Amino acid sequence: MFPKLDPILHSELRLAVISILADVDGAEFSYIKKQTGATSGNLSVQIDKLSAAGYISVEKGFKGKMPCTTCKITPAGIEAFENYVAALKEYISTEK
Amino acid sequence: MNQNEQNKEMTAQESLSLISEMLNNSRRIILQNNAKHFMLWGILLTVTSLVIYELWHITGNPIWNCAWFAMPALGFPIVRILDRKNTDVPQNVINKQLGLIWLTYCIFAVSISVIAMLAVPMNISLVIAVLLGFAECISGFLLKNWAITIGGFILGIGGAIFASMVYNEAQLLIFTLGGIILVVTGLIIKFQYK
Repeated sequence: MFPKLDPILHSELRLAVISILADVDGAEFSYIKKQTGATSGNLSVQIDKLSAAGYISVEKGFKGKMPCTTCKITPAGIEAFENYVAALKEYISTEK
Repeated sequence: MNQNEQNKEMTAQESLSLISEMLNNSRRIILQNNAKHFMLWGILLTVTSLVIYELWHITGNPIWNCAWFAMPALGFPIVRILDRKNTDVPQNVINKQLGLIWLTYCIFAVSISVIAMLAVPMNISLVIAVLLGFAECISGFLLKNWAITIGGFILGIGGAIFASMVYNEAQLLIFTLGGIILVVTGLIIKFQYK
């Protein structure tokens, strides 16, 4: 019996975002946008979905006079990411 | 990636590849930022040590060692200027630990120099060579690079031996070597995470 893949993470852009955030203290929206090559609109929607699931926290502030959105992975997000990777590995080892 | 691709579902293999690609790209950008710092401090250390060596050699007066304090005074503002271009680059564990190691080195080096100059005379070059080699060695372990670790070991142990044998301005050449090792470390990081 295969473990069920988390539908929140099993989407290319959301997985890319959580992968970036898994390795850093927190990342600005502009950095995530640059790394994923996503459009601002699409990225905002996916960040909202991750935030609604409790996987990331989003802080809106200012950097000088410019608005700045910073995303951070939450403990629930780390757990979900670890479970997702473990499930993927299980899928792949069974495929072989 | 277009919008449809970004929102599509993937196979297990594609998902793992994406995770690995994102982690590696992000790590590369973060550590490339560190390469600049190593190179900057390496160049400053090499130039400062050679200038002080030359001034001490010409005048015969070790008071020129006070010029070491110009190095952090000059270096930290340059770091701030360099980092201004990459303000959105985040911090990861390796990056933070490297920063803490070198900040600790800097605090120890400045404190021991002030104590040696004002209160308890000691062989400062020996102490600072060991500290510099130690910090470089740990950086090598963190970056999983044996060349950097061995460079730090040679600098720390070799520098301590040299500083115990030589008691004139030639001691400063340890720091010229240290500066060169820091520049090489920066270049190694730059190419390792290209």
